[in-house]
Amino acid sequence: MPNGYIGLLAEEARSFTVDGPLKSITFDFLGKEWIVSESVVVQWVVMLVLAIFFFVLGRNLKVVPTTRRQMIAEYIVGTFTGQVDDSMGPRYKAYRPYIGALFCFIFLSCIMGIFGLRNPTSDVSVTGAWAIITFVLVFYTKIKTGGVKGFLKSYVEPAPFMLPFNIIGDFANPVAQALRLFGNNVSGMVIGGLVYFALGGIAGGLASIGIPAVLSLYFDLFSAFIQSYIFVTLTMAYVSMAETD
Amino acid sequence: MWIKLLAEESNMLQLVNINFDTIIFTLINTLIIFLLYKFLLHNKVMAILDERKEKVSSEIKAAEAAQAEAEAVKKEYSERLEQSKEEAAQIVSAAVKRAGEREAEIIAQAQQEAAELKVKAAESIELEKKKAINEIKDQIADIVIMASEKVCEKEISAKDNEALINKFIAEVGNE
Repeated sequence: MPNGYIGLLAEEARSFTVDGPLKSITFDFLGKEWIVSESVVVQWVVMLVLAIFFFVLGRNLKVVPTTRRQMIAEYIVGTFTGQVDDSMGPRYKAYRPYIGALFCFIFLSCIMGIFGLRNPTSDVSVTGAWAIITFVLVFYTKIKTGGVKGFLKSYVEPAPFMLPFNIIGDFANPVAQALRLFGNNVSGMVIGGLVYFALGGIAGGLASIGIPAVLSLYFDLFSAFIQSYIFVTLTMAYVSMAETD
Repeated sequence: MWIKLLAEESNMLQLVNINFDTIIFTLINTLIIFLLYKFLLHNKVMAILDERKEKVSSEIKAAEAAQAEAEAVKKEYSERLEQSKEEAAQIVSAAVKRAGEREAEIIAQAQQEAAELKVKAAESIELEKKKAINEIKDQIADIVIMASEKVCEKEISAKDNEALINKFIAEVGNE
């Protein structure tokens, strides 16, 4: 019995399973066996696509724009910059490229399912890594804006009895962030798989042509965009709320 | 310290698993994406936007300066125009005045000339008249003398006769 088994039908031939990511590559390094999972391999694909995309967009820009390519580049960068300035303020200029890069990375990771690949975002370790970055940034911002004293003081505000809640809040935020993105993605994957599987039994599998595309449109494009947007917006909100002074 | 949830023999990870290696690789990948985005796209676009901003503001400044200059030139020109209009008006009024003066002068001169001519004409008419009268008087005197000579057949002293006859003619001329 494979892991992550979801028994849909009793019939073994028509069983439906949702598996975790494959262990694509394993190698020994620093005296440890490292596992490169499918999520990481697909991330490399995403990185390659993004590298080409960024390189092509950022190439040969002119003060007086003459190409549609430059318009797109300026629109993308301007949108992220505007978002960061709007929700975090001009003090957090350094976050502009991070938010832009994170959004591109998450969005493209979410839509990899369209190309038949496993979304890296349907791996909680991947979304967890991004949440860890947010967590670190929140602590960094707290100490940077308030010093160590202000950082410690922020835990007993507005009243000392809030101390446990403040600590839980600091950890709950990134965990919720990671699980939200993971859950949405994996549920999309599961629902898509279920529908595909179920339609496969109707009219000899002909029903599975076309109908899943509508679901795919929602889960792979719309939901992907919304979830990426939510993730970066929450990152910005958590960091700017961490300001202590 | 990765949480090992998968079965040793499986070549798959569990659907919900926390894999330390994946986290590390994801962090590295995210850093690379961040650097790629920052240096291939973000910084370049921002540099272009800043350059454009600078260019636009400098162009606006230049345009404002040019406008101010144009405004000054316009003001100067309108002042000059006003001035020249005034001058022109002065010239015209002076010319009109002079022309009026000249007109009066000419008219006065003409009137004077006409008067003079009139006087001269009157004089010459008078003169001619006198001349004619004298001539007629002389002729009449001669005729009367001839007639009297014929009547009297007697020579009277020409001097006495002439006086008598002139007196007579003067009386006749006055009638």
